[in-house]
Amino acid sequence: MTTSTSLLYWRIQNVRNRGLWWLFAVVAAFIALYVYLFPGLLSTGGISKFSQNWFPLALVSMAQAVLMLAGGISLSIGATVSLGGVIAATLLAGPLGVAGGSAVVLLVGAATGLASGWIVVRLGLPAIVVTLAASFIIAGWALLIMPRPGGAVPAWFSDLLAGNTPVALGLLVLVVLLWKLYLATPLGLSLYAAGENPVGAYRSGAPVDLSRIAAYGLSGLLCAAAGLFVAAQTGAGDPVIGNAFTLNSIAAAVLGGVGFLGGRGTMRGALAGSLLLSIMISVMFFLGLPPVAQYVAQGLIIVVAVALPEIAAMRRPRT
Amino acid sequence: MTSPTERFAAARWQAVLRSRPMLTVAMVALAWIGASFFQPGFGGWRHLRYLLELAAIVGLVSIGQTLVVVAGGIDLSVGAIVTVSAIGVPLVTWLADPTGTAPALFILLCATLIGALNGLGIALLRVHPMIMTLAMATFLQGVLILIAGGSAISAQNAVLSWLGNARPGGISASVLLWLLASAIALWLLHKTPFGARLFALGTNPLATSLSGIGVRSTTIAVYAISGFTAGLAGALVLGVNGQGYVGIGDSYLLASIASVVLGGTSILGGRGTYAGTIPGAILLVTITALITMLNASAGWRNILFGTLIMALLLLSGRERQRR
Repeated sequence: MTTSTSLLYWRIQNVRNRGLWWLFAVVAAFIALYVYLFPGLLSTGGISKFSQNWFPLALVSMAQAVLMLAGGISLSIGATVSLGGVIAATLLAGPLGVAGGSAVVLLVGAATGLASGWIVVRLGLPAIVVTLAASFIIAGWALLIMPRPGGAVPAWFSDLLAGNTPVALGLLVLVVLLWKLYLATPLGLSLYAAGENPVGAYRSGAPVDLSRIAAYGLSGLLCAAAGLFVAAQTGAGDPVIGNAFTLNSIAAAVLGGVGFLGGRGTMRGALAGSLLLSIMISVMFFLGLPPVAQYVAQGLIIVVAVALPEIAAMRRPRT
Repeated sequence: MTSPTERFAAARWQAVLRSRPMLTVAMVALAWIGASFFQPGFGGWRHLRYLLELAAIVGLVSIGQTLVVVAGGIDLSVGAIVTVSAIGVPLVTWLADPTGTAPALFILLCATLIGALNGLGIALLRVHPMIMTLAMATFLQGVLILIAGGSAISAQNAVLSWLGNARPGGISASVLLWLLASAIALWLLHKTPFGARLFALGTNPLATSLSGIGVRSTTIAVYAISGFTAGLAGALVLGVNGQGYVGIGDSYLLASIASVVLGGTSILGGRGTYAGTIPGAILLVTITALITMLNASAGWRNILFGTLIMALLLLSGRERQRR
């Protein structure tokens, strides 16, 4: 009985991975190139530094992927990261301490996400426009808290998260495990169904609305966590530091095969997509490209990577 | 007794009065009248004309955005194309002629080609519009910084500075240009087969394709138009400001999407009209002007702007999400 269930499990996983093998291959090739360019990567310090650069992007890509799986999208990712960062830089060194401050950051992130989710789901407004408007409100809030970069994060906390130990990698594994757990709860189970076919899911008794609102809350929580980490990494808060994350999160999720229409894609794909983006940026940095040329290369690589399956299909004779 | 024709005409007028664009017009009127009470001088001819000049640029960018959104896509590269145009005109020195027409036309051609490239990627490589246009914006931003650097570039271009600053008969040339472009856009969207194809494409791409309509050529054309109108707006920005710099067009991306949505066009495609986007653009510029008048800090300005957009959406933009 157990063997047949596990056999079925791996068969399903195999099907779900089908579109992702090329992506895993590209990621592996880039990692090999990076190791060739920078052999120091294979030390504890190298892995720590690399995973610290990857960690916030991985979190926001997960935040975007959760929403896209539930049939939504968010353009307020970057603003929420900034808000999390400035709140962290204001509170962590204050009377609340690191634990209290971090809790406030995560709560605020979840609350902003839940609010957007409630407006999208209950009031029936298109997600892309609501989160666009929400990004202004959230960015404004961050600017009110901290008009210019500043604040402080306790040194030991920065050392813990962004020092020479791979704590970030461990945290990422923890987040992925928690995601697996979430998928096993009723809300998580109905996430894919709510994204793929909301009406059918509703008629089957799945808590569609609740599941979608929860996805927005989860997304906000992950963004705020990324903001907290960035604040620890830089040792200060910056009200506009998160802006680039909005675009990169969408790019990573789409590179990872997460569909725009909901219900299609996997979290491991989104993580692989974010890893690809992150390595790409590091490799270009090591090749000595000026930061500006990185924009050019990034734009090209994203299009090529997304178009690759289609190009491959065009070369194949049609039957 | 009224004849059927008259009754039909009356019903038609009622339909126009109850339509979504009229609601946006009413909101603009309300905002203008309300603001004139609190701020003497707001309702003055000069100030309203200034607002219309600002709205003309947003409105031009929104022409392409409206067509693209109606066709079920989205163009996130319009901001970058506005910048390309505003920086590009002074850079094309080898085409310099005393009137400045040749460089302007050349850059408009470039902007159209950039748009067509977006369309090619979306139609042939099946890249999602959001990814394709975002990647294009990233790419263009890099190229622009490489070419132009961080400094502002001034331009002496007779045609563009006339377009940006002249006021023949008391009406701004830019507003006249906007009127002309709007008329063409409305005709294109509602009176031509091309417009009908856009609506079909936005409603159901598969059915459209199966009906034998050239989905690829239509997609490429609509993104090329979006590139063209964004380029036109960029040329106007250069004419008004007299100089261009990297990032000058960034604000027009959100403005174009917001005015399209405030004008009642469904962001999901297949439904909408440019007739709504026109008051949408004016409403957006009015809101921005009102918020600027409050003399609040940058944080409060952002919060107010976001809240107002959200409130206006609740008032007007409610739609069940269709799939």
